[in-house]
Amino acid sequence: MAEHRLLTEHFGMEGIQTLAGYERAGGYQGLRRALRELTPDDLVAQVKASGLRGRGGAGFPTGTKWSFLPGDVHPRYLCVNADESEPGCFKDRALIEGDPHQLIEGTLIAAYAIQAPIAFIYIRGEYFDQRLLLERCVEEARAAGYIGRGILGSDFSCDVIVHGGAGAYICGEETALLDSLEGRRGQPRLKPPFPAVKGLYGQPTVVNNVETLSNLPHIVLRGGSWYASLGTEKSKGTRLFCCSGHIERPGTYEMLLGTPIRELLEEECGGVWKGRRLKAFQPGGGSMQVLLPEHLDLPLDMEAVAQAGSALGAGAMVFMDETTCMVNVSMRLVDFYHHESCGKCSPCREGTYFESDLMHRLERGVLAPEELTTLSDICDNMNGKCFCPLGDTATWFVMSAYAAFRDEFEAHCGAGRCPVREPRAAEAVA
Amino acid sequence: MPDTRPVEQPEDGRVGVTVDGRAVRVPKGTLVLDAATQAGVHIPVYCAHPKMDPVAVCRMCLVKLSTSPKLQPACATVVSDGMAVETRAPEVVKEQEGVLEFLLLNHPLDCPVCDRGGECDLQDFTQRYGPPTSRFPITEKVHFNKALRLSDRIELDQERCILCWRCTRYYEEITGEKELVLQQRGVHTLVATFNGQPLTSEFQGNLPEVCPVGALTHVRYRFVSRPWDLQRTASICPECSYGCNLNVDSRDFEIKRFASRDNPLVDDMWLCDRGRYSFPRWNSTDRVRRPLVREARGGVPVAVTLAGAVAAAARQLAAVREERGPGAIAVLGSPESTNEELWLLRRLAREVLGTPHLDHQLERFAGLAPAEHDLGIAETEECRAVVVLGEEPEHRAPVLRLRLFKAETKRGVRVHRLPAGTAPAQAVEAVGTGPGLVGVIADETARAGAAEIAAALAAAGATVKRLTVTRGPNGRGAKDLGVTPGLDAGYRAAAEGMSGREILEAAAAGRVGALVMLNGAALAVDGDDRDLLERALASVAVLVAVESRPGPVAQSATVLIPGHSLMEKLGTITSCEGRVQRVRAALPPATATATETGVLSMLAGALGSTGWPSDPIAVHREIVTAVPAYAQAGNGGRALFRGAPA
Repeated sequence: MAEHRLLTEHFGMEGIQTLAGYERAGGYQGLRRALRELTPDDLVAQVKASGLRGRGGAGFPTGTKWSFLPGDVHPRYLCVNADESEPGCFKDRALIEGDPHQLIEGTLIAAYAIQAPIAFIYIRGEYFDQRLLLERCVEEARAAGYIGRGILGSDFSCDVIVHGGAGAYICGEETALLDSLEGRRGQPRLKPPFPAVKGLYGQPTVVNNVETLSNLPHIVLRGGSWYASLGTEKSKGTRLFCCSGHIERPGTYEMLLGTPIRELLEEECGGVWKGRRLKAFQPGGGSMQVLLPEHLDLPLDMEAVAQAGSALGAGAMVFMDETTCMVNVSMRLVDFYHHESCGKCSPCREGTYFESDLMHRLERGVLAPEELTTLSDICDNMNGKCFCPLGDTATWFVMSAYAAFRDEFEAHCGAGRCPVREPRAAEAVA
Repeated sequence: MPDTRPVEQPEDGRVGVTVDGRAVRVPKGTLVLDAATQAGVHIPVYCAHPKMDPVAVCRMCLVKLSTSPKLQPACATVVSDGMAVETRAPEVVKEQEGVLEFLLLNHPLDCPVCDRGGECDLQDFTQRYGPPTSRFPITEKVHFNKALRLSDRIELDQERCILCWRCTRYYEEITGEKELVLQQRGVHTLVATFNGQPLTSEFQGNLPEVCPVGALTHVRYRFVSRPWDLQRTASICPECSYGCNLNVDSRDFEIKRFASRDNPLVDDMWLCDRGRYSFPRWNSTDRVRRPLVREARGGVPVAVTLAGAVAAAARQLAAVREERGPGAIAVLGSPESTNEELWLLRRLAREVLGTPHLDHQLERFAGLAPAEHDLGIAETEECRAVVVLGEEPEHRAPVLRLRLFKAETKRGVRVHRLPAGTAPAQAVEAVGTGPGLVGVIADETARAGAAEIAAALAAAGATVKRLTVTRGPNGRGAKDLGVTPGLDAGYRAAAEGMSGREILEAAAAGRVGALVMLNGAALAVDGDDRDLLERALASVAVLVAVESRPGPVAQSATVLIPGHSLMEKLGTITSCEGRVQRVRAALPPATATATETGVLSMLAGALGSTGWPSDPIAVHREIVTAVPAYAQAGNGGRALFRGAPA
């Protein structure tokens, strides 16, 4: 079984980045149908029936999230989270580049469902070209009457505003995104109140991922029950997997949920490069725990991967071959979190710094063996104690790697070098 | 084993929780932290502050809750019925040690030279909850600026900062000035002023108090003292009529600082810089120390005993009364005296000397009536709207601004700042018609306008209460107790007399035979007023003065008796809202003579009226008997004259 192309069906099609091209491919029919045939409540019911879950990482059911909005408080806002910053993750970029109007259509459908008069697309600062593309597409859609007052002759009005971030990982956290959008320091807010109750400018707000929204035109056109027939019992539909690392054909592949990971690796990615063996992989981006070759037969299913001790997260598959030093990978990831920690809460701010210091000394081979206990202890002092998930996830990969490759970590202690990447350096000196 | 079963209770808007096995019932919506405090269980906090909204950033207060699988911040979690809170569970203890290790990671550990040493939460909690050692290599610490001068009052040590956000939140939530911001991110985050601009707030002095560590310190307290070497005296700020509660911290008979003392009804724990940093003036050694008598004006001063001075004063005053009648004697007090002193001064003037010329300040602003003191400071938060006339009220009593900001931002009170001369109709237009409590705040110069506006607002349907910001720490007490022309204690009508300025002008014109002054130099310290005072002093034949500082009054007095400063005596003063609060002796007196109440009692005796109380407590007893409002106020309550004659 190969790729199951639903969201990526029109990728690469001539003119798909223009409104005309998208309309030729059947674009904006979902929005048309939603506005003409469905009430907002019907739409919420359809999405609930589809079983669609958020594609940003946490996997919360989208329809349920929408239904948390208090009934009588207006205005409400929709925010599209396009601040894709997870290490190894580039599916939102692919969706924006490959089919930008699909996202805009999905955004308008969601805005109609929650009756939001304004939708903000918050796109990460580094996605500069993609932001220009989206801005151009929004203008096109506005000129064609898909955005603005009385969309397609209905009494629903909505404006779409594209806003660029300034390059902070934390702004992908939904409340930090809202603060950043309001012009404040991008730092997570205290919850409760949740954004559904008090979000952007203190109003009820829904924050949805790019991929989540891109599913909506299909659900509207083909029905929630059709969508629910795809995938596994709890993980419905398809997902885009960003495959990178030591593989022959890195890229974004759309897979039906439930497909074995091995199929993704061997059929789509062309297997591990240079004929080497797989050592480990991360199924959900830089935040998620490491998995081993024995986990390749797991299905692409949120529950199954969670049961194996990791998570599908934002759908970033990073494969590592047998030459990879797990200490080195851990150090690089810890450095990322140390660099991206916003500094709001003490365990994350100081803990990532401590962690980074320990990992650097371990990688150089100058850490004392007993300090490995310190490493796991401070990770325990961070995990679950931080203000937001950033600090928690800063410990997940390193702790899972330490558990799975304990001998490699221990071999670094006092070795004065990396015993994996420089196995013969010490012998040469001797 | 304590009984941890929730007790069956009736529905009363409260919920039952247990904290470490101790059962308490608290109102719905109470934070776990406050419930623990009520149960007598201490939870360490850094970012949480009783006057600010929770942010839950320090993670020091994480506790185990029966309602949650993860540890939760006590400062930001609301209790639910039947919740069991554990603050000493093994995972909580480990987490507290972990957070303290993290906070100390990049802390310079320079406690021996830190002003905060001895009263630092980081020190205290590390002692009580912290790990014995750090596992972090000391060479890896991140370094920042130390001793960064933010203004002439505040210094910042960025290394000691633990980023609890209290100072930035103080500026956002309490003053609204936003002078401190966070810069950079992660472990490099630091507190700084925007663009390095100096702090300009009138309320900077509160920063070192909200800071839980030694990051923000007073320039004027730098390397001055350790807290355990300070002697602390609870008193009242002597700078204005607002009546902020404070602690006077002294060492070696010198005041080293004023520290706030939270009274939620008055200051809400905030002091203004004018009050907080006014303490050096009380340390002046330039003082009147012994009684002097001049037998005639311009004569040679002779040092005498107190008894000799009092006898001379009585003799001189009696002679003037004999010769020119009681109307030739005038009596001047000041708003810097206590109620007890002012009460005896009033009795001396009205009962013994028999003169109606009695005042405590220069100006007499028309329309003085008890209704102008009806609105309580904390009551502003319950108003629908508050009208503030002119800039004077907030200029004279700066902490009022913080209360109005709180009322505005946290209670939704509409605050209308209108020019002092606003027409009543305009004020009604601004506030709107209809019922609800409306406050009108003015200073004494705008008293008449405030009365008209209050009447117009009342006619438009509102319940109106007024607050008049009086002058000096005890201007209100002087009015309540009748040290004012034409009005006796309790605002009862009295024989018309001259105001302070009229007394001085009459004296300068030679129409006053004798002047009795209690702390009178405070009335006219500079400019034209000072000229008038000097001309008056030069023309009056008899000047009996109780004065604590050398100056024109002390120089001209025919009888000079050393006074005690407000930091050297016991008594009560009444704030502008009528709150009767105690001042206490924080410093030993600079003179060996009796206090003012004793002196006035002796003088009355020498003039033939014996049996007066001489100590402040006995005088206060006399006040509460004579003025029922003061009996109702008790210690720290408000004296209200509702229904008193206008």
